[in-house]
Amino acid sequence: MTTILERKEVREQIGNIRTTDILVGIPSYNNARTIGHVVRAVQAGLAKYFPDSKAVLVNSDGGSTDGTMDVVHKTAIEDYQAILLHHRIQPIHKIATPYMGLPGKGSAFRAVFELAEALDARACVVVDSDLRSITPEWIELLVKPVLEGGFDYVAPLYHRHKYDGTITNSIVYPLTRALYGRRVRQPIGGDFGFSGKLAAFYLSKDVWQTDVARFGVDIWMTTTALANAFKVTQSFLGAKIHDAKDPGADLSAMLYQVVGAAFDLMETYRDVWKPVRGSEPVASFGFEYTVGLEQVTVNVGRMINVFREGLKNLREIWLEVLGNGDFHEVERLGALGDREFRFPLALWTRVVYDYAIAYHKKKLPVQHLIKSITPLYLGKTASFIMEVESLGQHEAEAEIEKLCLEFENNKEYLVNNWK
Amino acid sequence: MTDFLNLVLEPLQEVFSAFKAFVPNLLAMLVILIIGILLARFLKAVLVRFLLAIGFDSWSDRMGITTLMRKGDLWAKPSRALGSIFFWTLIIVVLMTGVSALNIHAIDRLVEQFFQYLPRAFSAILILIIGYVLAGFVGRAVLIAAVNSGYHYAKLLAEAIRLLLTVLILAMVLEQLQVAPGIVLAAFSIIFGGIVAALAISFGAGGIDAAKRMIERETAEKRAGDAKDDIEHI
Repeated sequence: MTTILERKEVREQIGNIRTTDILVGIPSYNNARTIGHVVRAVQAGLAKYFPDSKAVLVNSDGGSTDGTMDVVHKTAIEDYQAILLHHRIQPIHKIATPYMGLPGKGSAFRAVFELAEALDARACVVVDSDLRSITPEWIELLVKPVLEGGFDYVAPLYHRHKYDGTITNSIVYPLTRALYGRRVRQPIGGDFGFSGKLAAFYLSKDVWQTDVARFGVDIWMTTTALANAFKVTQSFLGAKIHDAKDPGADLSAMLYQVVGAAFDLMETYRDVWKPVRGSEPVASFGFEYTVGLEQVTVNVGRMINVFREGLKNLREIWLEVLGNGDFHEVERLGALGDREFRFPLALWTRVVYDYAIAYHKKKLPVQHLIKSITPLYLGKTASFIMEVESLGQHEAEAEIEKLCLEFENNKEYLVNNWK
Repeated sequence: MTDFLNLVLEPLQEVFSAFKAFVPNLLAMLVILIIGILLARFLKAVLVRFLLAIGFDSWSDRMGITTLMRKGDLWAKPSRALGSIFFWTLIIVVLMTGVSALNIHAIDRLVEQFFQYLPRAFSAILILIIGYVLAGFVGRAVLIAAVNSGYHYAKLLAEAIRLLLTVLILAMVLEQLQVAPGIVLAAFSIIFGGIVAALAISFGAGGIDAAKRMIERETAEKRAGDAKDDIEHI
């Protein structure tokens, strides 16, 4: 398998830098517009909180054509005093290089892991290149638990709009929590801190030709850390605000990669999750505060329509996956009017577990199986949005907590049907 | 009197010599048949065991082959059905080989023709099986993608694509079997052309209002959806 360490210029840079204390990775693809801000925030964070530590900034690029790597090379904080800082004692090295392998975030992370191992990094951080809300404090919050707290993995903890992150809120968080018994609130947050030891462990896994190389990398990193008993924590980073999303991003493709990776990990770690019951909180760092969030508008009617189209057209598939009982409950939802439409928590829990079991039993080709959950997911999302429409952020969070408890309480159903 | 006896005995001698020459061939045929049948039974058992070991039945369930068999009133397990097909194919081959051992000119020609046709028959069966699985897979993928996009005529679209693929595959199979290739090509062109013409006429003339409504409905909903949804799912 090809690696970026085969490139002469990368090997030369590694030879010059030799070792580092901190390595910050920024995966990118055509992010010239936003990556400058992220690089400045990282530089300021390193200058402010780790002035004496040797640091390397790695831009792992997917072949951008808009000059993203040039922006990374050229971006520097010109006036440290303007942000109340002095110049760093140690310089920040920069490596901007195209990654190798399948196009996707996971391949970009793999390049970061390779450099972390080659440079013997003690602590690593990865942050998205389209972040508008990143501040220098993110670097402190993601690095310090590793360098000073002895943790191996730091997941992010954000305040997000109650409607955002619904794949996390309705599938990934409840499922991960019920399976592995740890309450990591943002298992696919995208911005993580981890130890050099964990980076080397990730690199030892042969997953780079699978969906882990794409969107699946976030859930894979979190689950691998949890299932292999690495010390996990989370840090409160404030608001997570991205650049405007790609309108062409396909929801079912995202679901396929994220949910497929989560189900795939259930196969790998079945002996780990089967005996786990209930959950416990993980240690948290950072000072929680309320943040103003951008307004999110949603088209609930369209979501319910897609759910109804699914009910009309995917009947055979859903019957095969859900079985008669659950399918008829889902069928009853189709008869409800838009405003009365509510997806019961227990039913949704069984739907997710039924899909995990169908994936395990290989009832359908994987792509067809997971993509066929999209209308059900949109139905659940529409229901959640209507339920929390008039609620505040905390009350909406309480609804997610109820769903998580449902996942935990129904785990026996999953274990018993996992043959 | 001697001449008369010769007249009677000569044909009998000829029949007897012909029979003497024929007996080894007959025995050879019987041996080929007995060994062939035993070998076919053994190979069938090996194949069925192998298919069971690799989970062929559950793969067939997933690919819809079992459903197709049930629709065709075939209730055996797919692995056993394939084993039986393999067994009877071997039996036919054994029978043909055995019969050719009789060294009868007319049968030899028939057997030769049969063996020349065999590769075509096999590749036609292969095209049919692969084509059926492919048409089912593509049809289902289109159905799911269309439903997820909120398209109202998802099933119609998926069935149309499945039908087109099936027609294409059947044409390929018949062409491979060399069953009136000229007619098959003409029929295929007529069916495909007919479908396109029917669509053109129904959308362009007969169903202009319905087509307009369908397009307007899809476009309006898409526009409404694009304008309102900025939720971040991930």
